[in-house]
Amino acid sequence: MVKIYSTPTCHYCVTLKTFLKEKGVEFQDVDVAFDEKARDEMVEKSGQMGVPVVEIDNQIIVGFDRDKICELLKLEC
Amino acid sequence: MKIYDLIIIGGGPAAMSAGIYAARRKMRTAIIAQAFGGQMNASYVIENYLGPYGTPGPDLAKKFIWHLNVYKKDLDIKEGETVKKISGCETFEKTVITDKGEYKTKSIIIATGKIERKLDIKGAEEFERKGVTYCATCDAPLFKDKTVAVVGAGDSGIDTVDQLTHYASKIYWLNKYEQPKGTQVNVARTLMENPKVEYFPQCLPKEIKGDKFVGSLVCEDLATKEEREIEVQGIFVEIGMTPKIDFINGCLKMNEAGEVIVDHRTCATSVPGIFAAGDVADTKHKQIVVAAGQGAIAALSVAEYLKNNNYN
Repeated sequence: MVKIYSTPTCHYCVTLKTFLKEKGVEFQDVDVAFDEKARDEMVEKSGQMGVPVVEIDNQIIVGFDRDKICELLKLEC
Repeated sequence: MKIYDLIIIGGGPAAMSAGIYAARRKMRTAIIAQAFGGQMNASYVIENYLGPYGTPGPDLAKKFIWHLNVYKKDLDIKEGETVKKISGCETFEKTVITDKGEYKTKSIIIATGKIERKLDIKGAEEFERKGVTYCATCDAPLFKDKTVAVVGAGDSGIDTVDQLTHYASKIYWLNKYEQPKGTQVNVARTLMENPKVEYFPQCLPKEIKGDKFVGSLVCEDLATKEEREIEVQGIFVEIGMTPKIDFINGCLKMNEAGEVIVDHRTCATSVPGIFAAGDVADTKHKQIVVAAGQGAIAALSVAEYLKNNNYN
């Protein structure tokens, strides 16, 4: 299960989501600009206040860390 | 080991333009970038690039990337790699060392652009992403109904305050100078009249305090030398850009701003075989169209350099 915490105006988030789509990875996109509960959840889980945040099988990645994402999803990058 | 004719370092308009020109000249070329698009990715809308008027920055970046990929059979596009060092800087064959490998090349174009200048005060690093942010377009919505500070009052600082008026409940706006600068001074005046905004002219940030997240910002009034501590939950920093060339290790001549000094006719640097283009170079006007033009100049100059050195 891949979950992305993002805001609509964040270019890193757009780049991240485009990358996942290109790799054929399905993900749940949570817009923390409007969903306050999700925003609090993101801060609680990641210990920080920036987007994007990626959650892969309960592991948290802050920012668009391509290598870490590829490693956790076993993707060829 | 394969020897490239050219390695382009960077992923913005200068680098991509250089890549296209190099591919069309059939130079054996690699282009190495952590990501493509550069600062276009962070631009809300671009209205001064010839042709696609009023295009969102990320969309224009996509068009550039698409165009670069037209030539991908003639280019080694190495995305997701970070250059760590150039060795043999002043020899004919240079080695570009990245986090994933080493590549030999006869010439290099540095087109790494600029990145946000970091706030260099106590607590800034500790609280980065914990209230301190350098990306208003990313993080402004996260500070809905919160009290924030904005540091800087150039065009980006003005944009940031403008964005935050839609989210934050209170904005302390710190400017080292008396008045905002840049091309949007009229917007700045309107923002200063916004009841959410409190403007602090001649005010220098000194320290960021907090527990797990930002709690307050200490700043000094440069006129009175008095310090005050303001309670904030977020600090948006917009204090300009700095060249992205930590891998150079002093082998090129730079100006006082840390930009690579180039011959503007050829984009040649002080070292034979190394060229620089775009915002990383000492170009006066930092514009997409200028960067793309310089990328073309640099690639064509590399072709001449290789020919003059009997490399073809």
